[in-house]
Amino acid sequence: MATILSAAAPPQRDQQPESEPGRSRERVLGVFRATPFTYATLIVVSAVLCVPLVFVVSIALASDQTVNANTFTIFPREFHWENFTRVFGTDLPMQRFLLNSVIISTGAVIGQVLSSGLVGYAFARLRAPGKNTLFIVVLATMMIPAQITMIPQFILFKELGWVNTYLPLIVPNFFSNAFNVFLVRQFVSRLPSEIDEAAMVDGLGFFGIYRRIMLPMLSPVLIAIGIFTLTATWGDFMGPLIYLNDETKMPLALGVQYITSTSAALQAPPWNLVMVGSILLTLPMILVYYLGQRYLYEMDISGGSAGVK
Amino acid sequence: MSRLRRREAMWFYLFASPWIIGFVVFLLGPMVASIYFSLTDWDSFTPPKFVGLENYTRLLTEDPVFWKALWNTFYYAAISVPLGLGIGLWLANLLNKQVRVRKVFRTLIYLPTLVPLVATAMIFKMVLAPSGPLNDVLGVAGIPGPSWLLEAIWVKPALVLLSVWGAGGATVLLLAAMKGIPRELYEAAEVDGAGSVRQFWSITVPQLTPIIFFNLIMGLIGAFQVFSQVYILTKGGPNNASQMMVPMLFDEAFSFYHMGYASALSWLLFAVILVFTLLAFRTARRWVFYETEVN
Repeated sequence: MATILSAAAPPQRDQQPESEPGRSRERVLGVFRATPFTYATLIVVSAVLCVPLVFVVSIALASDQTVNANTFTIFPREFHWENFTRVFGTDLPMQRFLLNSVIISTGAVIGQVLSSGLVGYAFARLRAPGKNTLFIVVLATMMIPAQITMIPQFILFKELGWVNTYLPLIVPNFFSNAFNVFLVRQFVSRLPSEIDEAAMVDGLGFFGIYRRIMLPMLSPVLIAIGIFTLTATWGDFMGPLIYLNDETKMPLALGVQYITSTSAALQAPPWNLVMVGSILLTLPMILVYYLGQRYLYEMDISGGSAGVK
Repeated sequence: MSRLRRREAMWFYLFASPWIIGFVVFLLGPMVASIYFSLTDWDSFTPPKFVGLENYTRLLTEDPVFWKALWNTFYYAAISVPLGLGIGLWLANLLNKQVRVRKVFRTLIYLPTLVPLVATAMIFKMVLAPSGPLNDVLGVAGIPGPSWLLEAIWVKPALVLLSVWGAGGATVLLLAAMKGIPRELYEAAEVDGAGSVRQFWSITVPQLTPIIFFNLIMGLIGAFQVFSQVYILTKGGPNNASQMMVPMLFDEAFSFYHMGYASALSWLLFAVILVFTLLAFRTARRWVFYETEVN
């Protein structure tokens, strides 16, 4: 596991991440020369990939009649912006779904950031008997698929009376997870150890060093972990599906699906409102990615999990 | 051990305690419990009944759905992962050329991967509807489109299509790695008279093998655990043609309350993932190139 994770880090980037191969003074090598065919391919591929998204917007803005008659078009012809307000309260409890998503995601992010930083720092810096063995266990747990523990965890939370509450989706995050611990540990290992040694000489305890010296320096990796956790929790479907059956507790990811599954068998789901829900589900992710991408690029190992859904 | 060392060790265990407690309560304990459950017949309401290895033998010898789900999962993983990586490699290579507005293309290609899986499933439910946009396009080309999600032979390709929509993830990652390939390699190759295609296969691809390998492993592990798309789009149907390991496990556990049977299934899933990961590592020596090995 260790070798494959280190292999995940892309090779050292150039000074300027966006340096165009061959631009400026250097001659463009043949292999980097873009031909009309390059552009044609890129345009076609980008268009094909974005068509579904354009459809989503078009359907979200369509009237109920258009949706029922299945006569929507790729580019919107009608602009029923009221669909975006209808989902709040009048037609669907979307504000409740959104609020639930925010509560669960916030709790999960706080839990992971608090715990992963502490644990990762300990594994990187503090010396203790048994630490190395324990770290091998950390790495090994990454291989265990979540499905193994799914049923016993469900039983555990059922015994605790936590079913149909947010707790099963939030609390485990306060115990960090192997991947995040690994990320923090790698990050701390790259920091010069003179910093905490100096602080130690100045009489700061281990918690003081963590709190005053380490924590500020850890912000890039903790922000990256926050983004990973937020994305994973916001989009999580299986967890809420297992633990929440009360409509007022459901997060948006489950709520959107719930709308389509509960509309009566004879009646098609309200696709325009479902697409509004999908847009509300997607926009925060685009925003988070846009605001956070420099942290994600900084944590070059993040790349490892990118293509995996 | 000095007093100072003992204090340091104490702080280590204190700081690491969230992970240690979490490991015991949410992983180790449940794993042991899961092994026990898998040996019982249990509906989670009445006391479990010990049945030995019966769940495993029933899964492996009597349950036709298990073999179908296993085959479908193989099919899905074996096609969607290499296909997604291949497309990612192809697009990254195009974006690595000196393209104007590269950032625009990169964003458009990456955009689908930002869409949460549930929303993706909703979008594809609409795109793949019998009279949906995809079949409209096929209709224009004179091809009568199938009812993707309702036909046994088309439902798995439809799910592969959904996963390939997210090829932008691999693209961005491989593009970042391509930028790190030393320019001198290409310069030397050009002097030697190698064309673009030859340079792609002899420089770009070998240099990227470590990251391709990593994505292959992570992709396979992820694909074996595919759930949401299947659950939302097909519920495993028609006639189990798209039933896969995890949706089957979910059904057994939370629809039929066959907790013991589902636990046994989860261990078989683990075994399958383990075998494939080890196989991938065994082959890695032959095709993954590590710079350090040359020196």
